[in-house]
Amino acid sequence: MINDEDLLLYHYRELDAADRARIGAALSAQPELAQRLQALIARLDVAASIPEVEVPAQALQRWRVALDRAATETRVTQAPRRFSFPLMWQAAAAAVTVFALIFSVQRVMQPSVPTETARSVESYAYEHGLKVHLASTERRLASLEEASPEERARLVDTIIGQNQMYALAAERAGEPQLARVLRAFNPILEDLANGRGDTTAADVSQLSFELRVMQARLGAGASSNNIL
Amino acid sequence: MLTLLKSWVRPDAFHAVLNERSVRWYNACLRITRDADLAADAVQEALLKAWNHRDEFRGEAALDSWIHRIALNAAIDLTRRRKRRAEDELDPESFEAGPTSSAESQYVEQAFGKDLSTAMQRLSTKERQIFLLKHVEGWRLEEVAESLQMPIGSVKNSLFRAVRKLRVDLQVWRGEHD
Repeated sequence: MINDEDLLLYHYRELDAADRARIGAALSAQPELAQRLQALIARLDVAASIPEVEVPAQALQRWRVALDRAATETRVTQAPRRFSFPLMWQAAAAAVTVFALIFSVQRVMQPSVPTETARSVESYAYEHGLKVHLASTERRLASLEEASPEERARLVDTIIGQNQMYALAAERAGEPQLARVLRAFNPILEDLANGRGDTTAADVSQLSFELRVMQARLGAGASSNNIL
Repeated sequence: MLTLLKSWVRPDAFHAVLNERSVRWYNACLRITRDADLAADAVQEALLKAWNHRDEFRGEAALDSWIHRIALNAAIDLTRRRKRRAEDELDPESFEAGPTSSAESQYVEQAFGKDLSTAMQRLSTKERQIFLLKHVEGWRLEEVAESLQMPIGSVKNSLFRAVRKLRVDLQVWRGEHD
């Protein structure tokens, strides 16, 4: 005897090949069984034929906005990836600049007396390099919050490396105070790189503030030897 | 080819299927959740999930069918979560007996008609979802079982129970069952 469940599973194609063949043969041989199945499915179709309602305009608008926002966020999160490659070049360029600067400063400290023009060119290069370093450090600090732990460690390492080079350059250029300030940043930066919990957002904020102060002073007294 | 597919699955492609198919998605989710807000949430969740996983879209199915399926799963998930919350707050048996809120009743009454409404009201949430996923959406029993996190035997039994209830209320079969 073929029961309702078997008929239903036959209709849904959920039977194995043997049962499917058995019920298929029975349906062919017994018209009343085939009618029974047809009646069942027709009535279940009625049960399932639920009229559609319109989408509320508010919901449709919400979906569109959510989709647009997701697309925008995708573009924004992709941005740092595009930025990370040039960052390596920026770091390399900064390192070259600093070495050139150190080399220039060493030449300045040679016994031979440099001309005023050479001194002003070197002074300009030094101040310009320092400004670039401070500005890029400030930008990198701002991006730390969103960076992954690996990226954060790499960024902070880059800043520390450049900071040490600039501190050295500042010392050799007769700017011991600037060298001290630059070196004072390093413990906080090292804590950040190591992910220690005692370095707070307030520390980073203070660091950023100091950087802006130094940049402002550099901007105000570009020609002055003592920028702090 | 993959590059071509990926380049095609862009926001404008999503917006195009959204404009064309949102009524279908929304109604499918509404039938599962029987709650307009949950259905809208399910569609939104599906859109965002599909967007975030668009690289996994291989084009075997149409984009709208892919989102449709994600939306149904989201609707099931949201209903499950709501049920858990309700169980925390209410007597679980009263919830399992069927929808009780006036908003749900109103929707069922409006959408299904009075007789059908009575028939569907007699189905538990699980029975209704299984019947809809199987009979309307044409999912395989294994897929239903996976989505509802139930053994396939339980899914089958719930489906048979749902059909029996609908049969009685709609007078589908007339005493021909063994």
